[in-house]
Amino acid sequence: MQKSDLLIKLQEIVGNEHVSVSAAELYCYSCDASQIRGMPDFVIRPVSTEQISKIVSLANENEIPVTARGAGTGLAGGAVPVEGGIVLDMSAMNRILETDLDNLQVTIEPGIVQEKLNQALEPYGLFFPPDPGSSAMCTLGGLIANNGSGMRSVKYGTTRNYVLGLEVVLADGTVINTGSKASKSVAGYSLTDLFVGSEGTLGIITKATLRLRALPKERSVLLASFDDPEHAGQAVVKVLSSGIVPSACEILDRNIIEAINTFDPKIGLPKAGAILMFEVDGTENTVREGIEMIKDACSTLATSIRAASDKKERDEIWAARRLVGAAVSRLDPLRTRVYVGEDIGVPIKELPGMLHKVREISEEFKLPIMTYGHIGDGNLHTGMCIDVLSDAEWEKLNKAADKIHRTAIGIGGTVTAEHGVGSARASYLELELGKALDVMILIKNALDPKGIMNPGKMGV
Amino acid sequence: MMNDEDMRSILKCVRCGTCRSVCPVFDVNGWESSSSRGRMLVAHGISQGLEVDKGVFDSINTCTTCGLCEEICPSGASPVKVIENVRHQLVLQGKMTDAQKLIRADALEKGNPLGESKDRMAWLGDSRNDLPEKSKYVFFAGCLASYRYPEITKKTFDILRKFGVTVLEEEVCCGSPLLRTGSDPSELMSKNLEQIKKTGAHTVITGCAGCYTTLKNDFPEELNVLHVTEFLAERLAEMDLKKLDLKVTYHDPCHLGRCNGVFDAPRQLIKAVCYLEEMKSNRERSKCCGAGGGVLKGYPELSLELSKNRLEEIPKDVDYLVTACPLCRTNLKRGGPRVDVLDIIDLVEMAME
Repeated sequence: MQKSDLLIKLQEIVGNEHVSVSAAELYCYSCDASQIRGMPDFVIRPVSTEQISKIVSLANENEIPVTARGAGTGLAGGAVPVEGGIVLDMSAMNRILETDLDNLQVTIEPGIVQEKLNQALEPYGLFFPPDPGSSAMCTLGGLIANNGSGMRSVKYGTTRNYVLGLEVVLADGTVINTGSKASKSVAGYSLTDLFVGSEGTLGIITKATLRLRALPKERSVLLASFDDPEHAGQAVVKVLSSGIVPSACEILDRNIIEAINTFDPKIGLPKAGAILMFEVDGTENTVREGIEMIKDACSTLATSIRAASDKKERDEIWAARRLVGAAVSRLDPLRTRVYVGEDIGVPIKELPGMLHKVREISEEFKLPIMTYGHIGDGNLHTGMCIDVLSDAEWEKLNKAADKIHRTAIGIGGTVTAEHGVGSARASYLELELGKALDVMILIKNALDPKGIMNPGKMGV
Repeated sequence: MMNDEDMRSILKCVRCGTCRSVCPVFDVNGWESSSSRGRMLVAHGISQGLEVDKGVFDSINTCTTCGLCEEICPSGASPVKVIENVRHQLVLQGKMTDAQKLIRADALEKGNPLGESKDRMAWLGDSRNDLPEKSKYVFFAGCLASYRYPEITKKTFDILRKFGVTVLEEEVCCGSPLLRTGSDPSELMSKNLEQIKKTGAHTVITGCAGCYTTLKNDFPEELNVLHVTEFLAERLAEMDLKKLDLKVTYHDPCHLGRCNGVFDAPRQLIKAVCYLEEMKSNRERSKCCGAGGGVLKGYPELSLELSKNRLEEIPKDVDYLVTACPLCRTNLKRGGPRVDVLDIIDLVEMAME
């Protein structure tokens, strides 16, 4: 079918104002926050499952790629239409369909923004725990499709732990419902788990029922300073093995500390080789006890320990940490943060070693690498800033990233703990997954024989 | 067209999308091209040969230049500067919308972007014959205040003249509408500058946020500029204001507050005469009224939606919404507020009666 005929068909399905072929709009949807690029032929902002089913059927008949996109905050090109075709911008489907307080559940459309969902739940004393740095703008659909997590995953786990059921449009336009409103169900294969984290390669998520948690009554933040990241890594192992489950456990290295202090001088983080930021939540008693236990566990390794004095300071520290990924760009006007090789995960016990390796890689390539991240679950974000107009710096950056990825895999870790595979890390999946990747390909072919669902992603 | 410095300022955006959470235009339109990140991408696209069509104009020209994205941008990008620069580069190539052309033609030919040919200084009325030629302070009324709000402008000047303030003989547009929409304002600026010098004034006082930021930050020579609220807040003791039994809320004009840090002076004035209850977003994080950056002229329907969204932030049980810029006032009134919108001088005058 000609492109112009397709456009007419798409306009018939969603209405003219919900389809764009404007060159400016297509350009804006040709990337996310990663370095992956791909120009779509159409951008559509659907408003119903029915529309999506019709769009996907049409695309399937004509073998046109369909790429779902939430807020485009991804760091791996997951929402980038690398083979062109249709981008479905899901952000117009942003309603809360049902808040089921007694069952601690909420049913939502995928375009709702994480923070807006939590703002709506707050009056009921409930929340959806997965809490990425992008929570102010990322959508639930994107979080589910990437199995995103964030700073509180050390205690609360990842998005997967909160998805009870999904409505999914399959590649031929069929609409299925997975899972159950019952909190436990073993009826059949867990298709919900299959679609969570599938990055739009198997179907389009159009609705989700989520499990919620009660908001904790108290939170407290503790900052522990160390001579270097390796000592901080040892302290994390010690804290976690002593039986405390902090609600967050973040590492900031020297450069990140400087970036936060530059971004918001009021915060005034102590100058140190590395800082661990612990958060403990719960009741007044459990928080007090948790903070004391962390202090004890860190005491022999830390150079200083201080608690946030009040809620305001705690919130400021947390807000700054949330934005640090991009804030490292502020350290040098000539350099910009580039998200490549930024999301490795390693077994907890390997953390100090991995931190040491990152430092060696930094020295080898003469490229400053900043380290921060959710160290409590072994997830390290390695931040590199380069002069983006220099080809030589790009080459160094890509080589350093490759080495970081291979090192992580070599010690039993992963190339991506939460940001996703997308196109950026697809080439490492064979190395990381081995024959399991073949099974993924079999599943992909069974559900999407024509390969229209987000092609060019996840190595499938 | 683009040098390394311009390119770097575009590439400073890491496309994290944080601006999506605050851009008031994106909130209404929902398409990526109407977010600040989208505009940075379009700016990049233009440098790579993206054809300048309606889609490009609608992306670049729908920014109100409110600067809220810049306020929260973690990577330190400056979308407003980039957008104004792109508008300017496009205008230099003759690429501009009808609204941009109209603003430019009216401002340059008639001295105001409203297309008014009437006597600009008519608001002065009887006071006209009684003005000192020289003064330390000169009042710059601005186009909107002169033509659309002559009564408030007269009230403002009547208060100011007690402190020895004079006006310009032949004030013309400050240049803000041209600057924000990509045209060259230097001719207007020179005319005003020449007259400011003639009065011998060391300080220019204005009641318009757009004039304020332009006079202060964009004129070819450095000027000492005060907003009328700053001038009066320093002179509260001499003004003999009575307390009013009113509760009001205050809209921070973006170009006065966020862009120039004038948050306290208007609040000092309000608190001196009545009770102030803040809007949901205020000070640095204040939402835009929707009029700036040429959006009211170029995209009146969008501008109306932005106004309505801002008006939703008015707290319950207030008597008035007060602001300190005639452009904000105009657009907030367009949005159909449930309480009347006052210029801060209206409120001060009520307390003087």
